[in-house]
Amino acid sequence: MTHRLPVTLLAAGAALIAGAAQADDPIKIGVPVGLSGANSVVAPSVVQSAELAVAQINEAGGLLGRPVELVVADDGSGASGAQRAFDSLIFSDQVDALISMQTSAARNAGLPILSRGNVPYIYTSFYEGGSCHPNMFVNAWVPEQQVPPVVDHFQAEYGAETYFLIGSDYSFGRGMLEFTREYIEAAGGEVVGEEYLPMDGTDWAPIISNLRSSEADAVITSTAGGAPNVTLTRQLRDSGVNIPYANLAVDEGTAGDMGDVAAGIYISASYITGIESDENAAFLAAMEEHFGDELSTPNELSVPQYEGILAYAAAVEATGSTESAGIIEALAEVSVDGPRGTIVMDHQRHAPLTMYLGRVVEGGGVELVTEFDAVSPGEQCPDL
Amino acid sequence: MGNILLDMITTSAILFLTSAGLLVVFGVMKIINFAHAAFITVGGYATFVAHEIGLPPILGPVFAFGVGAVLGALAEWVIVRRLYARPLDAILATWGLGLILGQLVVLGFGRGVQFVPPPIQGTVAVLGTEYSLYRMVLILLAIAVGLGFTALINGTRLGLSTRAVIMNEQLAQGLGINSARVRLITFAIGCALAALAGSLLTPLTSVDPLMGLPYLIGAFMLVMVSGGSLPALAVACIVLGGMQAIISTYLGSVLGGLTIAVFAAIALRLRPEGFARA
Amino acid sequence: MPDLADTSRPAAMRAVLSPRGVKRTAILAIFGAAVLVGPLVLDPYTVNILVRAFFVAIVAVTVDILWGYSGYLTFGQGAFFGLGAYTLAITFSELGFGPWQAIAAFGGAMLLGALVAALVGWLSFYPGSTPLYATIISLVLPIVLVQLIYSGGNFTGASSGVVGYFSFTFMTDTWFRIAGIATLAVAGLAHVLVSSDAGRLLRALRDNEMRCAYLGLDTPRLRIVVLVACAAVAAAAGAGYAAFGGIAAPENAGFIFGTQLVVMVALGGRGMLVGAIVGALSIELASAYLSSILPFMWELLVGIAFVAVIVTMPAGLFGLLGAAARRWAPWAFTAPEPVTLRTAAGRAEVAQAGTDDIVLEANDVSKSFGALTVLSGVSLTARRGELVSLVGPNGAGKTTLIRCLADGREASSGAIRIGGTATDKLPPHRVVRLGLGRKFQAASVFETLTVADCLRIARAGRDKPSLVTTSSELALPAAARSVVESSGLDARLEDEARHLSHGLKQALELAMVLALEPELVLLDEPTAGLTRAERQRFADILTDVVERERLCVLIVEHDLDFVRQISSRIVVLHQGELALDGSVDEVVNSQLVREIYSGHQVEKTGEVTQ
Repeated sequence: MTHRLPVTLLAAGAALIAGAAQADDPIKIGVPVGLSGANSVVAPSVVQSAELAVAQINEAGGLLGRPVELVVADDGSGASGAQRAFDSLIFSDQVDALISMQTSAARNAGLPILSRGNVPYIYTSFYEGGSCHPNMFVNAWVPEQQVPPVVDHFQAEYGAETYFLIGSDYSFGRGMLEFTREYIEAAGGEVVGEEYLPMDGTDWAPIISNLRSSEADAVITSTAGGAPNVTLTRQLRDSGVNIPYANLAVDEGTAGDMGDVAAGIYISASYITGIESDENAAFLAAMEEHFGDELSTPNELSVPQYEGILAYAAAVEATGSTESAGIIEALAEVSVDGPRGTIVMDHQRHAPLTMYLGRVVEGGGVELVTEFDAVSPGEQCPDL
Repeated sequence: MGNILLDMITTSAILFLTSAGLLVVFGVMKIINFAHAAFITVGGYATFVAHEIGLPPILGPVFAFGVGAVLGALAEWVIVRRLYARPLDAILATWGLGLILGQLVVLGFGRGVQFVPPPIQGTVAVLGTEYSLYRMVLILLAIAVGLGFTALINGTRLGLSTRAVIMNEQLAQGLGINSARVRLITFAIGCALAALAGSLLTPLTSVDPLMGLPYLIGAFMLVMVSGGSLPALAVACIVLGGMQAIISTYLGSVLGGLTIAVFAAIALRLRPEGFARA
Repeated sequence: MPDLADTSRPAAMRAVLSPRGVKRTAILAIFGAAVLVGPLVLDPYTVNILVRAFFVAIVAVTVDILWGYSGYLTFGQGAFFGLGAYTLAITFSELGFGPWQAIAAFGGAMLLGALVAALVGWLSFYPGSTPLYATIISLVLPIVLVQLIYSGGNFTGASSGVVGYFSFTFMTDTWFRIAGIATLAVAGLAHVLVSSDAGRLLRALRDNEMRCAYLGLDTPRLRIVVLVACAAVAAAAGAGYAAFGGIAAPENAGFIFGTQLVVMVALGGRGMLVGAIVGALSIELASAYLSSILPFMWELLVGIAFVAVIVTMPAGLFGLLGAAARRWAPWAFTAPEPVTLRTAAGRAEVAQAGTDDIVLEANDVSKSFGALTVLSGVSLTARRGELVSLVGPNGAGKTTLIRCLADGREASSGAIRIGGTATDKLPPHRVVRLGLGRKFQAASVFETLTVADCLRIARAGRDKPSLVTTSSELALPAAARSVVESSGLDARLEDEARHLSHGLKQALELAMVLALEPELVLLDEPTAGLTRAERQRFADILTDVVERERLCVLIVEHDLDFVRQISSRIVVLHQGELALDGSVDEVVNSQLVREIYSGHQVEKTGEVTQ
């Protein structure tokens, strides 16, 4: 921290400061992420992919002749931590953009500060949809993209007509399953049960009993990541539930680690490590080379982070500046060819994505069942 | 119907397992061990370690019990015994202890979920329904823990000393009972039982740094309602656990999750001395 | 509950102009200046962090009042903070932003906080509730509240919180000054309150709640009132937090936040407002700077520091600093103002009226624990001016009888009337208000209060204490005053009670009981542990008071010589039954008493007394 800037200048935002910066000053990208708290499990992989993206940009000569610098801040996976992280990144480190995956609570908490600081923000986490801010772009999936592959497949493959939905009681869980219910009903199916367990709940027995007595054809779950996923899956299997089962909230890695209890579970994602493309192969090889033994396996949350930084770089190159207004305009147009394919955030600040339906196989690992090209995010922010 | 009945009984069994250790400490020392949840977590991780170093699954809970006992004794020796004169401070210190244990677990094993393969899997036909075999086993384990502890209290010299300390500590000291030793052993056993519960839960849950926390408030309330008596705790678990299962089934698990806390609070308001002599 | 009505303007002015008032004003001015200048010298990030930290510090002050001062360990203040944050966020989201909405939001937050606190208070505090139970209930509150927030759908924003509403568009610097001044105002008010005459009640509650109840104070109600006030302040702070931050999130209401507040107060120094504030500000600042660098280590360090402080220095950092300052810089501390004794008016005419009035009537009182009967069918009458001794061997039921007389809920059956009113099911403070005073066997005073303050607490029921000012006078009824003077307590009015000798503590407690202006005084072995000289002096004081004030005294005593010297009547209890009730000579010379005391088996009581 140097001397204090006049209030008015501060309020005008970081854009002005950035505009006044010297040519060899680095362009700073802020990554508020859950180094502690619920997201700390996945945070290392997210930080690594961000580091790789920045390293690659700098190896290629930086942006506009300026180096790119990454500033990581812990958002504690929650609202107060996120406000601190946004404050420190925007006002103390004076970053040019924020690019990160966060919990919905953390993202929401950051938005008012985003307004004050007026920097562009690329949100790289899948979420329940409908979060809109003039400075925010999303390059990960929303329910409109994730749910249809599952339901369509269950109907076509198993002729499933009745569904039982189980979730953790939080925004993501409820948001996903509300959409799932609407989609199932629109597709002519029936939801015979929709139950939620508190976030920290561990005993799914009464819900499983209701599931059994409902005699549903298929079960779709959307729990909090980590522990609830594992407890629900274990207890479902332990109770002898063998109907088709899709988990909307489990990532490839956790599903694989769960071992045989997870076998047969369907997952729907915009990224799985088995995507066969040159970009994905190159990305995985670069990660391997860059991090070696320290590598955290790339996943559904870390790859969009990588692509988000590439998208920002493309926007900077396209406008020739880091000035917020221009970048925000450009972000809606630039396209990135990344491990997940070609991505443009041109659908009301969201991006059409290729979605993959996978199934966990015996002994861990995910096999690709089928893929769906250019699934639209639907109506997310009609006002923007 | 059979399912609900089994849910009620097995829920009660889980509650009993996860609160017995807390009750032991409360009964003798009249403090609530806020580190209880951390010791449940420690039990889960001890089981994970036991699995990693290749101990047979049956020894997992034994190992967890041992780790819990050692850490509990250490905690009593370093922290709790200095605070006998300040019961509310003792509670706070155990809460801090829980914080420390939790962070040590994170530093040692990371935030992520660890996996211990379940020793028993599959279902069994009971009351005309297929039901989780392991949950049925938990009923037996809960009864075993209850009987084992009752035997310890009623059948051994240590138990006699303990009962003397519970009734009148000063008098017990006057009779030559080393009440500091009784407290040390009590705290160790309480923590060991918590760790044992954590270990026995691993087949149903995940092993993660927060795995014990969900059981904490329920255990607090059950122990308060039971007024420090083991049989009363069993009754409280059956009544409130049964209610929790019924409410979860018919009104949703969200309300079910509040059952114990709310009903126990109201019950205590109406009958402050607890239900030990009910 | 004391009220503000009796503080006239001159008194308030005097308070400001007193040396203490000058010191307070100076400190306030220094901190006020710091708050105004702060944004000019601090970097913007720190300013931002401190704005939030100020709102947290306000709640920490309420935690300190509840826990540090009044001894109620609560994990629930975070919930009231969250309640306030959500009230504001939801008001602005649903009704839009504007001056009326802002008033509604803050007013609603405080009202809602107060209402919920009243409910929580009702659950937590009742005659006989334990501190542990109240603490556990304070844990249940945030858990239930967060669950409600999670289940509230779009209205409460579930796990994501309420966000995206328009709020005040102040600059961060303005927020800093608003929040800083609000913190100072709350701390200043809290300081005035806790050091006022009424504020001492809080510490009395902490030190000895039972003594408070037996001084006629409705302790549950007092605790509920304090909780309601603290909850309203915490809710207002939460509303401010949400107005600044633009979000209300579940973690603002959760139990983790509640425990963090306790950590802040413990580290800073409980029972010291400055400790609570500095604890809150420094933890917030440090975690803002350190949690990104050491995300896990940081929490571990906090945990270790917390345990270390609880175990080794319960007064916290500021307690330690304060102790050091007192030692090395005593000049910085103003000596307590000397207390002037005065005789309280009022009682005289009562003492003359109806000298034969029956004060105590116990009819067929029994008490049993399950199958064990410890008191059966005791009937007893006592009048003004009588000094009745209650004797009997250990386990005869003497203390049980005292307990039944003093607490209307104790007896299993039978009827007790004090001053003509039935005590059935009345808690102690209500019985005390009927004119009963009870002195416990072991001296029961307020250890950390001064002698004068202990006596003031005893007068709180009659002379409404001020919420603002500190009196330098101590008005006592004649009987209490004579005990204070004859025991030598008058020379030690400014000393804390814990420094008194055993004998002086007994005298102090007796004076406190007499300060209630009771008609019936229960004394449970008042001379135990006293020296012969002290005992003689005690006898003199007692007989003198009974004679002058026409009090009725019921005294449990082992020493038969002492009993013979002072009593006008003796009642003998044996195996839970009333064995004998007669004049000193009758009893002392009775065969029965000799047998009881020599340990022989006694015949059925009825036959012997005839």
